[in-house]
Amino acid sequence: MRGSFFKILILALIIASLGVLSIYSSTSQKEGMLWQEIYKRQLLWIMIGLVFFFLMSRFNYRKLWDANYFIYGAALFFLLLVFGLGVIRMGAQRWLKLAWFNFQPSEFAKLAMIIFLARYFSRKSIDDTSLSSGKFGIFQGIILPFIFVGMPMFLIIEQPDLGSGLMLMLIFVGLLYLTHVRLKYIFMLLAVLILPLPFFWHFLHDYQKQRLLVFLNPNIDPLGAGYTVIQSRIAIGSGGFFGRGWLRGSQSQLYFLPESHTDFIFATFSEQWGFLGSVLLILMYYLIIRQGFIIAQRTQDAFGRLLAYGISLLLTLQVFINIAMNLGLAPVVGLPLPMMSYGGSSVLITFVALGILVNIDRTRNVF
Amino acid sequence: MERKTVLSLIIILMFACLIIGLFNLGILQGAKFRRLSDSNCIRLIAQSGSRGNILDRNGEVIVDNKISYDVMILSQDLNNIDQALTLISRILGIGIVELRMAFKKNFISSSIPVTVAANIELKNAIILGEYKIEEPSIIVAPKPIRHYPYGALAAHVIGYVNEIDRWRLTKLEDYGYKTKDIVGFGGVEEKYDYYLRQEEGGLSVEVNHRGKFMRVLGFQPPRNGKDVVLTLDLKIQKIVEENLTGRKGSVILMDPFSGEILALANYPNFNPAVFVHKRTKLISGLFNDPDAPFLNRAIGSSYPPASVFKIVLASAGLELKKINPATSFVCQGSTMVGARRFSCWDEHGVQDLYQAIAHSCNVFFYKTGLLVGAQNIHDYALKLGLGRNVGSEMAGETSGFIPSPLWRKINKFQNWFDGDTANLSIGQGDCLITPLQATNMLAAFANRGSLLTPYIVKSVGGLDLSVKKKRFTGVPFKKNSFEVIAQGLAKVVSDAKGTGNVLSTLPIKVAGKTGTAQVPRGATHAWFVGFFPVDKPRYAICVFLENGGPGHAASLMTKQIIEAMNNQGLI
Repeated sequence: MRGSFFKILILALIIASLGVLSIYSSTSQKEGMLWQEIYKRQLLWIMIGLVFFFLMSRFNYRKLWDANYFIYGAALFFLLLVFGLGVIRMGAQRWLKLAWFNFQPSEFAKLAMIIFLARYFSRKSIDDTSLSSGKFGIFQGIILPFIFVGMPMFLIIEQPDLGSGLMLMLIFVGLLYLTHVRLKYIFMLLAVLILPLPFFWHFLHDYQKQRLLVFLNPNIDPLGAGYTVIQSRIAIGSGGFFGRGWLRGSQSQLYFLPESHTDFIFATFSEQWGFLGSVLLILMYYLIIRQGFIIAQRTQDAFGRLLAYGISLLLTLQVFINIAMNLGLAPVVGLPLPMMSYGGSSVLITFVALGILVNIDRTRNVF
Repeated sequence: MERKTVLSLIIILMFACLIIGLFNLGILQGAKFRRLSDSNCIRLIAQSGSRGNILDRNGEVIVDNKISYDVMILSQDLNNIDQALTLISRILGIGIVELRMAFKKNFISSSIPVTVAANIELKNAIILGEYKIEEPSIIVAPKPIRHYPYGALAAHVIGYVNEIDRWRLTKLEDYGYKTKDIVGFGGVEEKYDYYLRQEEGGLSVEVNHRGKFMRVLGFQPPRNGKDVVLTLDLKIQKIVEENLTGRKGSVILMDPFSGEILALANYPNFNPAVFVHKRTKLISGLFNDPDAPFLNRAIGSSYPPASVFKIVLASAGLELKKINPATSFVCQGSTMVGARRFSCWDEHGVQDLYQAIAHSCNVFFYKTGLLVGAQNIHDYALKLGLGRNVGSEMAGETSGFIPSPLWRKINKFQNWFDGDTANLSIGQGDCLITPLQATNMLAAFANRGSLLTPYIVKSVGGLDLSVKKKRFTGVPFKKNSFEVIAQGLAKVVSDAKGTGNVLSTLPIKVAGKTGTAQVPRGATHAWFVGFFPVDKPRYAICVFLENGGPGHAASLMTKQIIEAMNNQGLI
């Protein structure tokens, strides 16, 4: 039990420290106090995240079952609030301005959604380890949870934040797959989702359309939408095997790479630490995720199990999509790299999620 | 398979994909991306030094440099080139179409600034400089350019500078010359380009995505070209040019003891500044001019020497003992050579050698020539430096031509007749010499026995070359021959009936020989070659006027030149 706690804590701390180093390197050449302060802010967030990590690892996750509707309601409420009074940055309305920081409710919504879905597909009784979904028909198994997922997803996509919106969808499909909902239903859901995509094309924002086109061929607009991907690929590629060394990455430090401390922090890291460093980083992410899966597999409680799966899945998807988009293998969607990218909400929620994960493992043995 | 196992496998597969992607970028294509990364952030900013100055023998500037301002456009950060061009067009008053053409013509790559307007006025440069903030892509760059304070002065000696042409580039690439380099064309500018040439320095700097300077990676200071000091004397050169302007021909003044050329002027000439300012129309006009203003007549073109050649005859006759100073012939206005009558330009009566030279009597030299023989005339002409390059360092020298019976036999399958000898004796026929050869020949008489190698560059970058340049070839004549001929040359001026008598009014005693060359078409060429002062020669001079009339015209110009030099206290 202690094992998983320390494994996760240490891996998370290493990754977060590498994140701080990368943020420092990417902002060190920029002018202005604000830029110089950023890595300190990230450090502060990691501290806060650690506090929450310890708190959540002590906090019995079963209580989340009861708080479930409240959490779901809160997530919806924040998303609506963002819709009304969010701060607009870089063309998107994703942030809520709280006292001294900006809070991104979509990050919270992801975790809330996982808790909600875990609750939805499991039973109250701790002793009954079977899933309730085994007997679910198409309405209970697919349509009803889809409505619950659809509401926050719609709000997030409207922000617009296509990445986080699709993330909710993917987590939903992934968790459905892990419950006993029939495969037939899942495929039906996927068909319903994918078939009208050409139709939805018209509802996408221009910049989103462009990003997708650019993903197919970054060179159609080398100075516009394709710029980021091209620069990111150059940054990663120029790192070579051993990297250019810390603080020596010209792409990230000289600002050729936009968003080098947030969404494209992987490129920043990779330029400086090379193929070797990047593979080790990916390996560390994989170890955390594997730990999550191990925890899920040895948890008898259905709610805890689904929760652990969901959290692992969330991490997996975020890491995969972010790195893939850095490599130019996925379209550019605004998704942070968990624990590395600068951003309070993301760091905090990730540590909370890891805290829950550890707690599931801890509580499991109590029964 | 259980669903969770499937999911685990999918996740492993996803991570494997990432690692393969990483491998592809970082390892397989790493070198390419490293290059792209470097070209992203490393810029070379060229800083040009200035080309070496060209000075006269006293250190007076003949050609130097001044700062000019070029307008350049850096197109890489520019979305709308037309907008920038419109601004430039408004300020400079140059048509936008012209600017667009210049942009297209000079464009190399988007990271290299493109010059759209060169050499703008300082006032406009300041105005454009004020738009630095609004239009950072417009760069006003100071650049040293050639400056010719005296315009066309000594243009043929100096040459001009222009962008390197393809032919020169292929030859000079190995010496570090690059496209668009400014190199010398013709004259000293070309010959000494390697020394005059500035060394481009530059900064290699790291820039950020906006092209903003971040830090210096390396610096190579530009080096100015070396100064070239000529043997020309600016004051004499000015006098010469003033007198020559408007008359086709060339004038050379040379130190008869060292071979230093003190003045060398040709007309028509050109103003090298037209190349600096890229006056395309003027330049093509110059190139198409039938009067060939780029031709350095003094060395690059040869003419019949006419009576000037009689000096060769006199030398040959004396040396071969066919005549002596006391020998005299009677001139009756003409003489028969074979069946043909060869005339003199006057009826001189009894003429000894001195008189014959002074009066330029044809009959005397017909007879001398026939005594000496054509092959000997040819040989003595060569001994006096005719018919071959004088070995001056100036490019484009022609050797002239001295015919001989052997040559005619071999090349034309014709026999040589006495008539040809007579013709050669007065420097007509196929015989051709350059004004510089004539000067050099006279110098040998001025210094009594040494054929010099004329040169034009005294020192390069402070290193005195005159020791190396001074090269004498002894002319193996008897001392007396030189004395006799020199006296004859002095008589040309001092004798009341001498052909150069017009010079006798000068306070300086001049010795020389006139020449009036018959040409197939147009007026005769006028020659005056000589040296002065007679007793202690300091200058050898050659005045040659192409289609300038009788030798008297050249004597007159010589007089004006020597008068002006005397007035300025140069003698």
